[in-house]
Amino acid sequence: MADEKEVETTGHQWDDEEGYPLKEYNNPLPKWWLYSYYATIVYAVVYWVLYPAWPIPGGEFTKGVLGWSQYKQLDEEMAAGVAARKPFNDKLAALTTAEITKDSQLLQYAVSAGKAIFGDNCAPCHGSGGVGSRAGGFPTLVDDDWLYGGTVEQISETIHGGRAGQMPAHLDSANGSFTAAQVDDLAQYTLSLSGSSTDSAAVGRGDALYHGDAGCNYCHGDSGKGALLGSAGGEKLDASIGAPNLTDGIWLYGGDAKTVRTSIANGRNGKMPAWATDTEGTNRKLDELEIKQLSIYVHTLGGGK
Amino acid sequence: MKHETIEKSIPLMAILTFVVVLIGGIVEIVPLFYIESTIEKVEGMRPYTPLELRGQDIYIREGCYNCHSQMIRPFRDEQERYGHYSLAAESMYDHPFQWGSKRTGPDLARVGGKYSNLWHQAHMKNPRDMVPESVMPAYPWLVENDLEYGNITKRMEVLQLVGVPYSKEQIENAVADLKAQAIPDSDSDALLARYGEKVTLQNFDGEPARITELDAIVAYLQVLGTMVDFSSYQAQAR
Repeated sequence: MADEKEVETTGHQWDDEEGYPLKEYNNPLPKWWLYSYYATIVYAVVYWVLYPAWPIPGGEFTKGVLGWSQYKQLDEEMAAGVAARKPFNDKLAALTTAEITKDSQLLQYAVSAGKAIFGDNCAPCHGSGGVGSRAGGFPTLVDDDWLYGGTVEQISETIHGGRAGQMPAHLDSANGSFTAAQVDDLAQYTLSLSGSSTDSAAVGRGDALYHGDAGCNYCHGDSGKGALLGSAGGEKLDASIGAPNLTDGIWLYGGDAKTVRTSIANGRNGKMPAWATDTEGTNRKLDELEIKQLSIYVHTLGGGK
Repeated sequence: MKHETIEKSIPLMAILTFVVVLIGGIVEIVPLFYIESTIEKVEGMRPYTPLELRGQDIYIREGCYNCHSQMIRPFRDEQERYGHYSLAAESMYDHPFQWGSKRTGPDLARVGGKYSNLWHQAHMKNPRDMVPESVMPAYPWLVENDLEYGNITKRMEVLQLVGVPYSKEQIENAVADLKAQAIPDSDSDALLARYGEKVTLQNFDGEPARITELDAIVAYLQVLGTMVDFSSYQAQAR
């Protein structure tokens, strides 16, 4: 092995019998590696000086001479977003919804902003573009059938405070006060209002319950037209009850006999969350301007009145 | 000093090894004694109610954490979408915590109150019914399985051991509190007295007469991120 380059060894040698001595080399570390390693140490020290780094007993930490913090950076970025939207938002805030709808550029801005807000917060229930969901209970927003009203003001009110469906349970085993047979009769009568009942004797018995013991007419109206359009005993119903129109063949939870019966038996407590900042619940709230843009957007979906 | 000197002297090598390990140990261990000071002082945090606690167990059992994190980071895009960034205080009673950085599904740190119970019921049954593009698996058995809560008292005692401040009264009445929260229209005054007025009492699973696993997990989801009173937190922001 005479042509091999001489390498420094530790001087110890094992197992020389076969002519292949086992030696312990003492190579220096590669220079590029060693200096990179020193550079990382320098980098760390500089970092400790510039940025928040070391904890100090008592809950404090070294703040760094740059004064940077991730929370400060977040505040700046949030402020930049607000500033970018300010020229439009100021105009929107000053105008009424009717005035905004007349200005095509502002309307376009409001609808685009509303669409983004809708996608983040409303689409999970009401579907992309407000088409509703395949599972019952989440109203489509693209038709002109409304539970609580379809004017911009009513839509805005719904978004502000949310809505809570108050259909009580009727079946005795579900804390109601009617037997299974009576619930069947009520279901048949309900179906008859949109012309799809199958048992005329049951419809008669259900009719008596509807206007009698069960008192369905106090919310759904004497003729079943719902809280928005109907009346009970000659008096117009309060639209904020939200009781649906049972005569139009449009169903929130499904219009087959089984689903209608389930609605009556177990009740329904459909809930539209409240989004205004002064309401309880989620911390993701919409401010007044966001609600305004959202109301305009929802109103333009097709069903606005 | 040449490395040869160190390598040829066992006592010297042992001493220097000890020093290096000591530095590493101090850096990793000492901060743990001050960890309390990194938890913000906030209003409103309380331990989970027995029903919410069982909900968290089911959340973990079903592996929800594999796709959902519970940690909103302090970035503009996250704050605009999910709400205020998560505070350390908000997960101080979680054992184990549900932080994470892998999100196949959205972050759930503030999902509480965002969707209705009905939404959760339909979504657990078949996520595609609610969100057509969803890749989340369906969990239809949650509403079919009656909730097991026979060991809830023991669970709370163990959590108390690791620092969750359950009171003696809360542990003794665990089963009653669980039922009071899950069954609509039951007498819930005692539950509210023990856990605060903000506890949500609803028909979480759409099955008024039964206490199902869906009751527990929806109760848990509906409380996530809703406890801290942020109006009082802003005042002492760093």
